[in-house]
Amino acid sequence: MTSNGSTTTKDGLSNVNVTAALDVEGNVPLESVQLDGLVVLKIIKHCREFFPNPVTGQLLGLDVNGVLEVTNCFPFPGSKADDENEIVDGARYQVDMMRCLRDVNVDHNTVGWYQSTYLGSFVTHKLIETQYNYQQTFNNKSVVIVHDVSRSTHGNLSLRAFRFTRAFMEAQKEGKFTSESLIKNKLTFSTIFEELPITIKNSHLVTALLHSLDDYEHVIPKASSLDKETVVGPLTPNFDTLELSLDPYIEKNLEFLLEAVEEHSQEQSNFAFWQRSVVREQTKMQAALQKRKQENTHRLAAGQDPLPEEDIAKMFKFPPEPSRLDSLLITSQINNYCKQLNQYAGPTLGKLFMAGEFQK
Amino acid sequence: MPIDAATSALNLSFPPTTSATGFVVPQSRSFTVSVNPVVLFSILDHYLRRQENQHRVIGTLLGVRSEDGSEVEVRNCFPVPHDESQNQVAVDMVYHQSMFELHKKVNAKEVIVGWYATGSNLNQWNALIQDFYSKEVSPPFQAIHLTMDTDLKNEEKLLGVKTYVSAPIGISAKPENCLFLPVPCDVKYFDAERSGLDLLASAKDQTDRSTSLISDMDNLEKTILVVQEMLERISEYVNKVLDGSVPANNKVGRFLMDTVSVVPKIDKVEFEKMFNSHLQDLLMVVYLANMTRTQLAIAEKLQLLV
Repeated sequence: MTSNGSTTTKDGLSNVNVTAALDVEGNVPLESVQLDGLVVLKIIKHCREFFPNPVTGQLLGLDVNGVLEVTNCFPFPGSKADDENEIVDGARYQVDMMRCLRDVNVDHNTVGWYQSTYLGSFVTHKLIETQYNYQQTFNNKSVVIVHDVSRSTHGNLSLRAFRFTRAFMEAQKEGKFTSESLIKNKLTFSTIFEELPITIKNSHLVTALLHSLDDYEHVIPKASSLDKETVVGPLTPNFDTLELSLDPYIEKNLEFLLEAVEEHSQEQSNFAFWQRSVVREQTKMQAALQKRKQENTHRLAAGQDPLPEEDIAKMFKFPPEPSRLDSLLITSQINNYCKQLNQYAGPTLGKLFMAGEFQK
Repeated sequence: MPIDAATSALNLSFPPTTSATGFVVPQSRSFTVSVNPVVLFSILDHYLRRQENQHRVIGTLLGVRSEDGSEVEVRNCFPVPHDESQNQVAVDMVYHQSMFELHKKVNAKEVIVGWYATGSNLNQWNALIQDFYSKEVSPPFQAIHLTMDTDLKNEEKLLGVKTYVSAPIGISAKPENCLFLPVPCDVKYFDAERSGLDLLASAKDQTDRSTSLISDMDNLEKTILVVQEMLERISEYVNKVLDGSVPANNKVGRFLMDTVSVVPKIDKVEFEKMFNSHLQDLLMVVYLANMTRTQLAIAEKLQLLV
């Protein structure tokens, strides 16, 4: 892996700084994702407006020396039905939007897509397909950003960036997820996704704007006008994190967890069924093989040619192994839910003890 | 202050709005505009990316208005390329239409409510463009004009955001003749956006203007530290008042007493019971979640062994 692309690019750009920054050959692996403040706000706004339906959108930006800089984004219209027209419309919308954005000097280079999720249930087939397409087309330089609206209302923004590991890309390319292919690629549910760290960067003007929002005159009320409803400016301290009741969210999370565990047990029973049918076929084949062998000994004794034994093998068809992809996804989802429960419980315990202290 | 013919004061009122029944009602309510932070950030981003020779940029504002037209909420915006020179101004109307169509596909509720421009001065081009946008906005509502002071000339309030509506002035109703009436404007946001805004604001104090996401526990710690600091300030103030070094202010004292009495007074035994049961529930959930995770981890290892 070359960390400085300037000496190895083939197209011979003379400006060394440009080649160092623009990873022309695509050799430098992605280390982190850097979002512009604008992108964060736009994603939040779009996801919140259509809560709780999941929505998606496209990310635009540039990949600079191992850091994926996302500078703008736009939302996709919601699809109402899965028919051919919708797919064509969606593609046309993308093309039109990119063309318009190019006219106003916005980076029109796609670097990924984003999706909203409800309480962490985002590991679905649709996500896998879309991310696979993106990652395939853009040479492993695209990420999916997942935003959880319900968790963000508790005062801490929930934004995560994922992409597939190489192992998963290989398996998806082949298209089959049997036990041997899983072992060959060392693929388990925890090695499907790679999470990338996110940083947020603001431009100078935006920083000035944030400072000016902070100094709103009516944040600090005059002593003569103190009453219960003082005007709250945009950047006064936010106490949403001190909300004591997280129970509804924990309940919902547990519900989802139970559903996922049920689905998982269904998958397990499917797999067990398949295994049993394979064993049945095997025993039948063995029995037929035995019979054939006996026949052969008889025929040898009678002086005739022995019958071939390979025909028997061809007569018995083994049912194909069901794809293990579903169980992979479900286990990964279960893992997510459990982690989330842990993450909820931590601050809740802290707040509980804090409330206890207030009582004393 | 009485107005007679000799003064140069003009008595202008806001343009009349129509009520739902269609009659023209003179404007009696105050007209307010609230702006979403996304719009402000978007305008700044557009200004940063402008072409070399442009001093200012314009674009369209999208949003919703209340039923009687007195409150407008600006929710989204998009830039529109335009050309400005000494004698003429040109706005790419085709682009404006096509972008509006695209945006409508995503969010059908947002309609055109006005336009924005960077740079704080208002000249005759503004009037012309305002006239064009007034035609876009379904009559009889007025188009809102929003300016952002990106030249940072105004020292008291950097990046002052001002909103205007236009009122016709002059003898003949020519498009260039209009006066911009300032309208009060506010920055409004939702809870989910609040946490995003807070995160962005935490970046403003760093030298490289960047920040990274923090876990829930760290966020809680930060908030608790803020509360602690506020409590310390208050207790310091109260101590000073008790010592007599600072004159007591009755209003402040009453406000503090109200705040302190917000803590609910619960019987100690009851509270212990509630506290313990809640604690037990939480710990049980955590235990089950961890057990599930260990199970999954073991299954994962076994899968690879086979």
